[in-house]
Amino acid sequence: MNFAAGAIPSMSKLPGIFAQPLAKSFVTVVLSTIVLILICFVFAPSSMSTGALKGSLPFAAVIAIVGLGQLLVVQQGGFDLSLAGSVSLGVVVATHYPQQDDALLWQAVLVAFSFAFAAGLTNGILVSLFRLNAIIATLGVNALLYAGVFAVSGGVPSITTNLLGNIAGGETLGLPNSVYFALAALLIVSFMLKKTVVGRRFEAVGANPLAARASGLHVKRHQLLAYVFAQLLYCVAGILIAGITREPTAYQGDSLLLPSVAVVVLGGTSLLGGRGFPISTVIASFFLNQLSQFALAVGVPYSAQTIIQALALGFGISAYSVRWTGSASKQTTKLEKMEDVK
Amino acid sequence: MTFKILKLAAATAVLALGSANAALAEVPSWCGPKKATIALLDGYGGNSWRQVTTASGKQTAELCPSITKYEYADGQGDTQKAISDIKGMAAKGVDALVVFGDAGPAVLPAITSVFKAGKVIVPYRVNVGGKEGENYTKFIGSSFVDDGASWGNWIKGVLPKGGNVLFLSGPAGNSQGLDELKGLKSVLGAEYKFLNAEPFDVTNWDPALTQKVLTAEIAKNDKIDVIVSDFGPSLVGALPLFNKSGRSIPALATSDGNSLGCFWTDNQNAQNKDFKLFTVATGNDNVRLAVQWAVAKATGGKDPEAQIFKAPAFEDSTKGKVQCRKDLPGAIYLSSELPAEDQAKAVGK
Repeated sequence: MNFAAGAIPSMSKLPGIFAQPLAKSFVTVVLSTIVLILICFVFAPSSMSTGALKGSLPFAAVIAIVGLGQLLVVQQGGFDLSLAGSVSLGVVVATHYPQQDDALLWQAVLVAFSFAFAAGLTNGILVSLFRLNAIIATLGVNALLYAGVFAVSGGVPSITTNLLGNIAGGETLGLPNSVYFALAALLIVSFMLKKTVVGRRFEAVGANPLAARASGLHVKRHQLLAYVFAQLLYCVAGILIAGITREPTAYQGDSLLLPSVAVVVLGGTSLLGGRGFPISTVIASFFLNQLSQFALAVGVPYSAQTIIQALALGFGISAYSVRWTGSASKQTTKLEKMEDVK
Repeated sequence: MTFKILKLAAATAVLALGSANAALAEVPSWCGPKKATIALLDGYGGNSWRQVTTASGKQTAELCPSITKYEYADGQGDTQKAISDIKGMAAKGVDALVVFGDAGPAVLPAITSVFKAGKVIVPYRVNVGGKEGENYTKFIGSSFVDDGASWGNWIKGVLPKGGNVLFLSGPAGNSQGLDELKGLKSVLGAEYKFLNAEPFDVTNWDPALTQKVLTAEIAKNDKIDVIVSDFGPSLVGALPLFNKSGRSIPALATSDGNSLGCFWTDNQNAQNKDFKLFTVATGNDNVRLAVQWAVAKATGGKDPEAQIFKAPAFEDSTKGKVQCRKDLPGAIYLSSELPAEDQAKAVGK
């Protein structure tokens, strides 16, 4: 078994949604999710009831959307810590700007997206053009974004508009609307990455920037794009949270940073960059969210809930990152590549 | 002309004297003659409750003319910052400090060092450990046990034969939740079954987490008769989940908030026949008593009589008293002594 992240070998020749061979990471995350669902049915059937799913799926959708954003950055060997500030800014702009006036909502959404675009551009320029370390650059931008959060909200929550509440928190055909947003984000990201020239180049640049440059690709432009699109996705997530939670706090993004990285890794994308797995990332979001619902539903003490989640995450991540049967030579190439990226 | 000016001057003098008399008459007994400065130190100032509380503290300090300056610092949920704020204010020469020690005993060493340096320091609401006269001047707690008992008594009235109770509080192990549980258990017998994990379901007082927790509990329990929560407004986002699964919102024993009062008012229909509401005052005025004590000690005034803040019962829908001000933000607390309009200003609308 070789669950190495970023490995491309095909598991089978079944035609997938995008007519590609199924990746091992996809199979792993789907199997883990099925096992989790079975465990839920046996030990905490209430967590699989319609009511529970309708209540928890919106949160899974939000994790999926921020996960897709983080995925794009991770594919370029980067890391986006400004996610927390960005989501929080999306939340406060969407709630404070309209102050419960439906008519102002669309303007608020536009303002939120312009902030996100500016933040993404800043991140991208710092990382790709000025060659700053992604962690440092995005940490700085995160502080800037939080300054924006305080400027807009003063750190105080505001109640969301009814319109946004209906759009983000409502249901269509029995499914929470936020799920459709997540699916749309997934479709767009998948299509762009896997079916367009830009997307194919994007993955190539992430896999090996040096080789990509040698073959005449605009490495910096692709890296910059990753940060911009990531921010736009965080912004969507922030606006959704503003609608799902009636009175969101000004720090709602903080609790999403770790899950966003976790679902990217669980989805099988290498933290060193390269090929991305959007569908696996979205399924991993469901997995992670369902795991916390399971822990809540079995009714164990809070400490045990945290331990259950940590164990499952540790298990999931080790399934990919430890090379159970990996050869020494492959390990070296991976390390060399790490040097190159640095 | 001269006569007119004289008349005006006389009138002004009378007015000035009169208002000076009035001001003198209004000086409360806890305000002594010694000049002093005072600071309010928050461990975490990022919600409307804290903003209203800060404004209330300021208003109380302003009642005393001997107070020359009122300062404020926000620890932003960072224990390190809270500690350096406390020490920094003392180093700046502030005479009296009123501290909301969110981090609990972690801020006690800083409080003790300030006390030893001869300052007046009054921690309030959150128990920081330590002893009066040894670690700080005075601790002004809030009687959360009484809150729990008030809820318990109301629940007994609404559900005399017992029922299923779901109790939600903030971060794991917070002393407020534990005290409230003590109060609840002192009133409610074994016929009232607690559905939550021991001692309470953890929500961190975060509306998103509250929503997730409530989702799981609603799915797990077919019959929830009453929800008890110490932060009522954080439930508002999650309560419609009951209707989504075709059930009535159950009875609610909690603390007040304008958004909650309005939510109750908007949801009085046939589907929600069990939705009764009881609130205790959310306790913004706890800070007033703490400021009064700090000012009394720093200016040489008379100590206030109350040693502990008792939140009065505020709304009871079974007696027809639920307040909602639709024209004002949801994030204000009508139980607070601070006028609703001033609160709206404090929370930024």
